Amino acid sequence: MTAAVADATTERDRKRKGRDRASVEWVKVELMRVAYATRGGFLARRDPRAVLGWYVLLAVGPWLTYSEPTLVILGVVALGSALAARIGPLLLGLFLFGLLGQVAYLGVMVFVFGGNTSAIEGLVEVSLKLAIISLASMAAFVSLDPEKLSDGLAALRAPAVIGFGVSYAYRMIPLLIDELQTIIDGHRLRGAPPAGHGLLGWRTMRRIGAVAVQSFYPLFLNTAKRTRTTVEALETRGFTLTGGANPAGRRLRLAALRFTWADGLLLVATLAVVVVAFWAGAALAPHR
Amino acid sequence: MTTPAAIDDQRVSDPVTGLPAIEIRNLRFRYPGAEAESLRGVDLTIDSGDFVAVVGGNGSGKTTLCKTFNGLIPHFWNGDISGTVRIQGRPTADRTVGEIANQVGYVFQDFGNQLVRPRVRDDVAFAPINFGHPDWAQRADAALASLDIPHLAGHYTWQLSGGQQHLTALAGALALAPTILVVDEPAAEVDPQRATAIYEHLTRLNTELGITVIVIEHHAELVARYARSVVLMADGAVRWHLPVADALSRTEDLEAADIPAPQVVAVTRALVPAVAAGHRPAPLTVAAAAELLGGHRTDRVAPPPIRPARHTRDLVAELDAVTHGYIAVGGGRSTVIDGLSLRLYDGERVALVGTNGAGKSTLLSVLAGLAVPSAGRVVVDGHDTRSMTAAELATSVCYLVQRPEEMFLQDSIRGDVAMFPAGRQLPDTEDIVDQVLARMNLTDLQDRDGRMLSGGQQRRATLAVALAMRPRLLLLDEPTSSLDLRSRDDVIGLLTALSGQIRCTVVATHDMHLVAEWADRVVVLDQGTIIADTDPATLFADPQTLRRARLVPPQVAQLGDALGLSPVPLSVPELVDRLRPTSKDTP
Repeated sequence: MTAAVADATTERDRKRKGRDRASVEWVKVELMRVAYATRGGFLARRDPRAVLGWYVLLAVGPWLTYSEPTLVILGVVALGSALAARIGPLLLGLFLFGLLGQVAYLGVMVFVFGGNTSAIEGLVEVSLKLAIISLASMAAFVSLDPEKLSDGLAALRAPAVIGFGVSYAYRMIPLLIDELQTIIDGHRLRGAPPAGHGLLGWRTMRRIGAVAVQSFYPLFLNTAKRTRTTVEALETRGFTLTGGANPAGRRLRLAALRFTWADGLLLVATLAVVVVAFWAGAALAPHR
Repeated sequence: MTTPAAIDDQRVSDPVTGLPAIEIRNLRFRYPGAEAESLRGVDLTIDSGDFVAVVGGNGSGKTTLCKTFNGLIPHFWNGDISGTVRIQGRPTADRTVGEIANQVGYVFQDFGNQLVRPRVRDDVAFAPINFGHPDWAQRADAALASLDIPHLAGHYTWQLSGGQQHLTALAGALALAPTILVVDEPAAEVDPQRATAIYEHLTRLNTELGITVIVIEHHAELVARYARSVVLMADGAVRWHLPVADALSRTEDLEAADIPAPQVVAVTRALVPAVAAGHRPAPLTVAAAAELLGGHRTDRVAPPPIRPARHTRDLVAELDAVTHGYIAVGGGRSTVIDGLSLRLYDGERVALVGTNGAGKSTLLSVLAGLAVPSAGRVVVDGHDTRSMTAAELATSVCYLVQRPEEMFLQDSIRGDVAMFPAGRQLPDTEDIVDQVLARMNLTDLQDRDGRMLSGGQQRRATLAVALAMRPRLLLLDEPTSSLDLRSRDDVIGLLTALSGQIRCTVVATHDMHLVAEWADRVVVLDQGTIIADTDPATLFADPQTLRRARLVPPQVAQLGDALGLSPVPLSVPELVDRLRPTSKDTP
């Protein structure tokens, strides 16, 4: 009797909120939103070539300077663009997590080794550059759905296989995520049950690691099996891996792309911002 | 009319070119690296405008034959080949696959992998653009319109149901305006109503646009309803090519190729001696069979099945006002099951039926504890699923997902079967695994990777995985989908045999034969709620529920209903037994 009561209370105490799987589901949906540019944003309306050009300007710019004011200005621009491109909470969260991790790491470095801040300065600079590029990448690729991205690459004379590969990869993402989720569920249900979290959760970490490694084999064999038909189908649908799409097909595909004055304006404005940032950097730090 | 020569005599030629659609002479082919030839001297002529069903057992060379029509053999699979294949008079040997694709459209059996673009319209336009057709947009729109799916144009291909994916693949082939269309097993992965819909589309393309349609098909009932001629493949050669009525009366040949006759043919052959002797053609539809059997009508009523009252049995699982849904990409949360209550008892074999999207899989995943419902309570084997993790629940409930590949987590069947008992460190793990493997007849296959097995063997292996978990509640999602009929009967037999060891089994399925032959309780879902909870015979006699849930009963139940039998029969022997004229009814 008492044992039953005790059982009942422990059962009542341990409520699953349904968050454990809902969060996986949310991550999945969020990835889809990001991959398929469903949120819109200022870059989503632009021609893919303009978006790629915009990205190159912001991604290359930071590597051409050591001036901190320039980097700070570019960083602010990149952050503003990322928010305006609606990158969504998942990417922003991951980005902040990475950035805060860096800061914490630098803090530990200063605390342990003390004194010499010039090394830290160098590290801050590199982190800032990486942050700008990350933000610009997120803003650009969140705004390009797979068709636009592959058309943009084709328009810029990238090999047809690359454009197709990008588009096909996007098509496979949801399938892979679903399949991975099923496989991980299989491990959860059929594998050894967790024996508690262990010190600092080391058991949980080991379990997650083991499941991740073991999921790899079935996931990729299953995917390889699927693609057999795909390769044959591509042949019948006029896309061969050796020849790619024929030139007439390429022209048809790209006929819908329009590079408008607004796209040009975006590139000019971005270039102007970069130039201003470099100029400001030179003006504010003449001794460098 | 009954010899292969007969069909050649009545050959219809293309009105424009005067040539048959496909002409094959003495074709032999061996896959690169294979020991034996897959095609051994095929001779076949397919007329323009015909609707041909290619039938044959596994490994008879059906798919290989069809891949010669569009040049994948020999241009993609360049093995040893001899003989000729002519498409509308032109040999395939000196043309490319791409060129032939404009004449011969091909829809693969695993059509989902044929879709390569993220959105439906982009995918349909993919081939016309690649071939540089300037009117690609009109072609894509026309192809979508001809299959009544313009509303899907903007959808992502990964959001489509199986039936919609199939239509998209079909539209992608039609966008090249082929005169010949080859479809490999159109009915394999969809529910009966959707299979019918796909065949109606194919028939329209055939009659209205004059497209020659060639299907590979296992289901004799669909062949009977839609095809005009039948090609039987056996051992890599064409055994015969006959008009459909003649073909279906050759039941021995069809049985030998694992194609059981349609149920109406089986029933009439058993009851009408003239049909059995071949003096009268076998009826191909339920209506024709009902007319033929009208005289056999009896008023005998089968005894109602003896079913112990539910309240005397133990409760295995209970859902109480359960609501659940998923996060939508567009934002918000969908509701897939809505305020649903259900009790499952010891000893029950429950079939969960309903259209795609009715909530069957979601219900299973909630019962397995993989998802905790957003509202309501699920109790399995005395435990609230909120109080236990899915891993802890796995000792009493086992969930087999729809695609067996996803159940194979190890590199051998034995490893997969042993995974659960070994993970729980059961003392007699080795014995359990040996027993289960022997019982499921898998001992010889135990070291193979599950992915490399045939469809039927894969299902057997996943059932072995379940058996080794020794669950009280077993949940299966579509255990018979994309199986040929013999493997399907195998699975149904195994499920029946398992009922002694598992207290309650729930199967989500589209397969009404499985429902008729196995289940003793049917729960019909529609839009997340239960619209009927009854036994199979009652369901199959309830036209309103059938229509609402888009279910098509097996032919034998339709025939019994048409003959006024109540309760409707669920199997061929039962119907034959009830209709067979008896000299004197024994009291």
